[in-house]
Amino acid sequence: MPTVLFNDVSYTVPAGSRISDLPPYKETAALPCGGHGKCGKCKVTATGNLSPLSETERESLTSDEITAGVRLACCTTVEGDCAVRLSGDRAASVIRTAGDMPEITLCPAFTAYGAAIDIGTTTLAARLYDADGALLAEASRLNPQSAYGADVISRIEAALRGEAHALAEVVRRAINELLTELSEAADIAPDSIDGAVITGNTVMLHLLTETSVEPLSHAPFAAKRLFGEVLTASELSLSTLAPRTQIYLPPCVSAFVGADITTALLASGICRGQETALLVDIGTNGEMALWHGGKLSFCSTAAGPAFEGAGISMGMGGKEGAIDRVYLVNGRLTAHVIGNTAPVGICGSGVVDAVACLLDAELLDETGYLEDGLAVIAPPVTFTQEDVRAVQLAKSAIHAGIRTLLHTAGIAPEAVATLAIAGGFGSYLGTANACKIGLLPSELRTAIRVIGNAALAGASIILLNRDLREECACYAKGAVVELSTNPVFADEYMERMLF
Amino acid sequence: MSILIEISENLQKGKAKIVKELVQKAVDDGIPAETILNEGLLAGMNVIGEKFKNNEVYVPEVLVAARAMNMGAQILKPLLAAEGVQSTGKVCIGTVQGDLHDIGKNLVKMMMEGKGLEVIDLGTDVSPETYVQTAIEQNCQVICCSALLTTTMGVMADVVKAAEAAGIRDRVKIMIGGAPVTQDYCDKIGADVYTSDAASAADAAVRLCSN
Repeated sequence: MPTVLFNDVSYTVPAGSRISDLPPYKETAALPCGGHGKCGKCKVTATGNLSPLSETERESLTSDEITAGVRLACCTTVEGDCAVRLSGDRAASVIRTAGDMPEITLCPAFTAYGAAIDIGTTTLAARLYDADGALLAEASRLNPQSAYGADVISRIEAALRGEAHALAEVVRRAINELLTELSEAADIAPDSIDGAVITGNTVMLHLLTETSVEPLSHAPFAAKRLFGEVLTASELSLSTLAPRTQIYLPPCVSAFVGADITTALLASGICRGQETALLVDIGTNGEMALWHGGKLSFCSTAAGPAFEGAGISMGMGGKEGAIDRVYLVNGRLTAHVIGNTAPVGICGSGVVDAVACLLDAELLDETGYLEDGLAVIAPPVTFTQEDVRAVQLAKSAIHAGIRTLLHTAGIAPEAVATLAIAGGFGSYLGTANACKIGLLPSELRTAIRVIGNAALAGASIILLNRDLREECACYAKGAVVELSTNPVFADEYMERMLF
Repeated sequence: MSILIEISENLQKGKAKIVKELVQKAVDDGIPAETILNEGLLAGMNVIGEKFKNNEVYVPEVLVAARAMNMGAQILKPLLAAEGVQSTGKVCIGTVQGDLHDIGKNLVKMMMEGKGLEVIDLGTDVSPETYVQTAIEQNCQVICCSALLTTTMGVMADVVKAAEAAGIRDRVKIMIGGAPVTQDYCDKIGADVYTSDAASAADAAVRLCSN
């Protein structure tokens, strides 16, 4: 029977099956017209041994789509081995909304309109809500502080060099622009936004408020200001808003475990249950939280930017032209490219898949030695020996961080009921492959739940229900496990570098 | 002597358990500890060091190989002392005050041990005074400082000053390294040697100790 790789997972199905009849399609996607080829809404990208393009498909697909391998799931049958994935647009929209926010009681921190903003080291993201809790608009842009360096340490260094005011200025300007964009999209006056929540990691909030980052620049990294406070728009020079508009900055836990984690915890809902659960944000700084026996513990681990596409020879962000999925079809590497264009590079999710496939194909051994020192993923995109090394360092930092948190709490991985993966990269992560390459403990494979930009979702929640600020404040009291001096971490870090 | 080659090869693959077993077997076979160390363990680490310099292997291999070496060396330590074997030099190493990153520092330490040097590990967040005091008390020929943060690198200049103030600059060399460190910076603060990777650092330390 033919093998179908459906969004990363392999299925064996009878030849002649319609794609829309495959269990993974039925579980995740819809057939608005009931599978009659009329609505054209069941688009998938499919390659391999499939039925020829039908007349119905020719009518409803553009020539670009046809070239890119887009098919209608209800009109296409499996003839032999093939790969199918839900089209990029659908995948993206599913991720943005699915399981993003739990149901909440409305008690808004604003009267007419409110904005929730997440200042990420790389990306700013924002949402606009009305007093009924309706999401009116979303916007995002790159953090303009990137001009001063990609990671938090280089930003701290710039601030200490005398650029602190400039760093605050550029991010405030970007927030003003986001607020303008949101209000234009919703067709409201910007100054009718009369309440906001701004979350972000500890360094980002320091830079926003022009608080001295000197204490964050050296051990013991004791942050003097951990926020959980209300400021006014004028204090933050957010001139788009009325000067006295209240802006809430949620609490941080420590110098390197920020408000983005406390708000993400809120969105994840893991602290509402009795079960043991983990929250992991896989970024340049992998921040994570463990909920066990009614207590929270945190750690942060320097994973480096490999999973954001940086530090990889042909790495790039998750945009058009990036390989975001790699499959092994009949022993050959097969790549999916965002936008279905010619590949120009590889993004984080593609990196994870590529390494997993190279291991499967036995082109990569358990020590990370890459045969011939180079693998072609999809011409001209290649993966080098150095790229593998960068992945080894990054994945073992995250994996070892998770195991150290569990070890410190005295529990086995099997005891974890949920592993919530937050952050932009996490949304696209192939979880099976993440376990295969040892980015995440394989014992937790079935516990993984991808929750998207949970920091922003959590900021939205406290925007819509101000009473939940208290809950965030409780989270921030959790214990921080210091990894750099931890012998368990050192051992795990070494151990987990291997595949 | 094929067991020594076996030790070296398993060490290069990071097979710590096997290395430990083989070293014990070699000892039981009556091979002198010094020979096992030099022709088995250190020979293997040398290969890894060279490959690391040529970018053929990376941090994980060095770490696992070094772990294998340490497992083997533990068995040899008391025997070496009994045989009266001397190390080729003495170094104290640490990550500077304000900095907790120790992976690079540990790599350098392992590479140095792989060259047969005795290395005193001061850990992380090490004050200039601690470096100098240790060098004096333990008769170290080299002080080796690591920093990963641009914000903590400046402490290296203080280490040089502290060594000058203690009057030990004529007999103690100062080596520096870490991601943000450069040769220019080394010249600027008056340190003796900068190296860009752990294997070169070990080579340099051996040179400094034999002068």
